[in-house]
Amino acid sequence: MKRALIFLALASLSWGSAMAFADDRRDAILADLAAQAVAADPAFTAFSADRGKAFFLATPSSGKPDTPSCTTCHTKDPKAKGQTRAGKEILPMAVSKTPDRFTDAEKVAKWFLRNCSSVLGRECTAAEKGDFITNMAAQ
Amino acid sequence: MAGDVTKRTQVRIWDLPTRLFHWLLVFAVIVEAKTGFFGPANSLDWHVWAGYAIAALLAGRLIWGLYGSEYSRADRLFSALRHLPEHIGGLLRLKPKHYAGHNPAGSLMILGLILVLLALVATGLVVLGGTEKQGLLAGITPYDVAHLAKGAHQVLAYSLMAMVVGHLVGVATEMLLLRVPLIRGMITGWLPKAPHAASEILRPARPMLAALSIAFSALVVTAVALPLSTHKGLGVPAPVSNVLYVKECGACHWSFHPSLLPRKSWALIMGSLDQHFGEDASLSAEAVKEISTYLDANAAETADTEPANRLRGVSEAEPMRITATPFWRHQHDELPPQVFRSAKIKSKANCAACHRDALTGRFDDQNIDIPDTSKAGETQ
Repeated sequence: MKRALIFLALASLSWGSAMAFADDRRDAILADLAAQAVAADPAFTAFSADRGKAFFLATPSSGKPDTPSCTTCHTKDPKAKGQTRAGKEILPMAVSKTPDRFTDAEKVAKWFLRNCSSVLGRECTAAEKGDFITNMAAQ
Repeated sequence: MAGDVTKRTQVRIWDLPTRLFHWLLVFAVIVEAKTGFFGPANSLDWHVWAGYAIAALLAGRLIWGLYGSEYSRADRLFSALRHLPEHIGGLLRLKPKHYAGHNPAGSLMILGLILVLLALVATGLVVLGGTEKQGLLAGITPYDVAHLAKGAHQVLAYSLMAMVVGHLVGVATEMLLLRVPLIRGMITGWLPKAPHAASEILRPARPMLAALSIAFSALVVTAVALPLSTHKGLGVPAPVSNVLYVKECGACHWSFHPSLLPRKSWALIMGSLDQHFGEDASLSAEAVKEISTYLDANAAETADTEPANRLRGVSEAEPMRITATPFWRHQHDELPPQVFRSAKIKSKANCAACHRDALTGRFDDQNIDIPDTSKAGETQ
């Protein structure tokens, strides 16, 4: 019993530190995006989860016809699994469901590049990316 | 002429091995016809095992044709053929002669049936070896040879069905014209004595010799089959293996086996990733280079499976789209469209949703497993 408790304590501690580490990496990505946002617009103050949410749920339809919205593949619920048009499962975007979301800068850059092109027909601004991540981190 | 056959002396015509052979063959041919003509594709194992059973039955029957009791002997078929013109004359006058055992027309039918069945077994093994890369000939049969054999197998199968009808018509004719209970005879072995057969010397069965021959044949077959069965299928590619390919391409769709498209199509795909089937799938230049090299080295031209051979024939209008190839469309034309729209499958391009062995590039018939899409509310 005692041993099990110690094990549990250690396990939750290591889980917690892994999460903290993931959060650090996400914060670094956000800090980088914030710097870019300020460079693009000196009036920029902070990212907004609400703007990110509206951005995620919008249907810009300015990109490729098969992908009018983020929700085409990710569904309207960030905590739910999505599905690509080819049938592959997509893990939830919400950080509460998929803790390592937005922790790999290279991966984040690649998918924003592709998916903004597919859905919006253009690259996303640093402010849009930061709002998006901030919203998903709060979910 | 024949009088009341039911009152005539009954004689033992068909011995037990011959009767067993007959009814087991009937059963095996029914299994073959059902699975061969009507499928489904994933019943291939039944088709193959019934085929092996027919091969064993034929081998046993040929040996019994040498050592069985009088009316089971093969040489009787040949001697009966000499009376064929006379027998046909009798049939035309609706007064055929009653022969003990196979009559001349029946003898011709039996010889034909055995030849067609042997040819079906042989072509079946070639088809299995070359298209599915399974069975004893998998290691030595090129797809092109098997494709030809498949045509022959189909023609032979239809011929067999016609001959089965002919056999049944022949039996019915004799039962009606001569009132000989042939079906009962093939169950009990006993039939009324044919009037002219009184003086025949009947050779007895030689079961020990037959058993020895069967044992020896089994040894020879095993000696040949064992080394053959260990061969790797000819031209069967390695499963999808490139880590970067699986990571990048497999993020959005199943990792299409490189043998499913020819080099030219892969080059077109890798050259237009920003316009990738309706999405932007851009990759870094280094990733494009590594994945292109992998796809090129393992494209359809390097494999000899059925999909590699047939999907090479891409659609001219859409050379990048596997589901636009004539072969793909033909193979899937009986599936209702809603199957592909169901949540579990979602897209025609999601091969791995139904083909359990998709990542190996084999696409064996036995590994088709279509998810149940009949439940309501499954569509997107």
